[in-house]
Amino acid sequence: MRYLVLILLNTPIILLALLNIVTQYRMHHMPRRWFYRQLLLWIIILAVLIGSFPVYNLVIGRPVLDSIDLSAFDIVEITAVIFLFYIINDQRRKIEHAERRLRDLHQELSIQLSSNKNKLS
Amino acid sequence: MKRLRVCVVIPAYNEGRVIRGVIRTAKSAFKKSSHEIDIVVVNDGSKDDTSAGAVKAGAIVIDHILNSGAGGATATGLSYANQRGYDIAATMDADGQHTPEDVVKGVAESYERKLDLLIGSRLIDSQGMSRVKVLGNKGLSLVTYLLFGVNTTDSQSGLRIYSRRALEELRWKTSGYEFCSEMIWRANQLGLKIGEYPIQAIYTDYSKSKGQNNWNAINILKNLVKRRLSEIFE
Repeated sequence: MRYLVLILLNTPIILLALLNIVTQYRMHHMPRRWFYRQLLLWIIILAVLIGSFPVYNLVIGRPVLDSIDLSAFDIVEITAVIFLFYIINDQRRKIEHAERRLRDLHQELSIQLSSNKNKLS
Repeated sequence: MKRLRVCVVIPAYNEGRVIRGVIRTAKSAFKKSSHEIDIVVVNDGSKDDTSAGAVKAGAIVIDHILNSGAGGATATGLSYANQRGYDIAATMDADGQHTPEDVVKGVAESYERKLDLLIGSRLIDSQGMSRVKVLGNKGLSLVTYLLFGVNTTDSQSGLRIYSRRALEELRWKTSGYEFCSEMIWRANQLGLKIGEYPIQAIYTDYSKSKGQNNWNAINILKNLVKRRLSEIFE
């Protein structure tokens, strides 16, 4: 039951991330290489999440890997980590985009202003 | 050989003492060749008379509104060369470390070998270079290879020749000195043809005082690792 709650809480975040990636790619804001990397990354997170229950069943009872069952606190913690990862990743992309645009603007302004100055002098 | 329109880009920050001499020697070296040359000095927010000195020496001057670092200044210069439709562009240091004859040689070699990015390597023949500098530059070239998988003998060289295709397509994200390595990486990703040729480096007391020290090398290393790691999630 707790594993189901974990999946139900986190699947919307992952789907949102996937939707963002596809939209960015379709709008040509993201190169194909980045698109595939991001896609792969979130699919891995989804696979790990879905696979956590069968993996737990598999390792339970084995001395080195044995652990207690998922607690409510674990669910909150894992969900928070995935949500924070989503936010960090999204913000980093936005900052890089803004940085690039600012640099392009600075470049273009410097060239234009210097051209005007050269014409005047 | 075809008469080419060549744009020599010189990113400069507080180089008022030497910039005139660098421009004049570059102009006289290109006079002997058949190419049409324009020298573009990108004044990266200098606090001295770099801009005025470059204008007096007959260069086209682009004044950066903000100090952006060597990578940013080089990007502006190459963007200008791209917009104005030059056949080939070259970058060289403003501190007089490079001989203009090497730039002329590089332009010819780049054209003949049909290369997109030709790097002037100080380490193919490292005579005159201090051991510390040789070691530091070899170390950064090794780091460039380990992080980006591109093998060059001198990844930090400022003397580079760019084809028309490189001017149109080559872009990078870092703005400090680490752009030298990132540029090679991006060129490799784009499938540009990269080559090297030996150049001579002239170390005067002035260029030694302006050059990169060990702390700069550590800073470059740190930024390169950061760039490589952040790209894993892109």
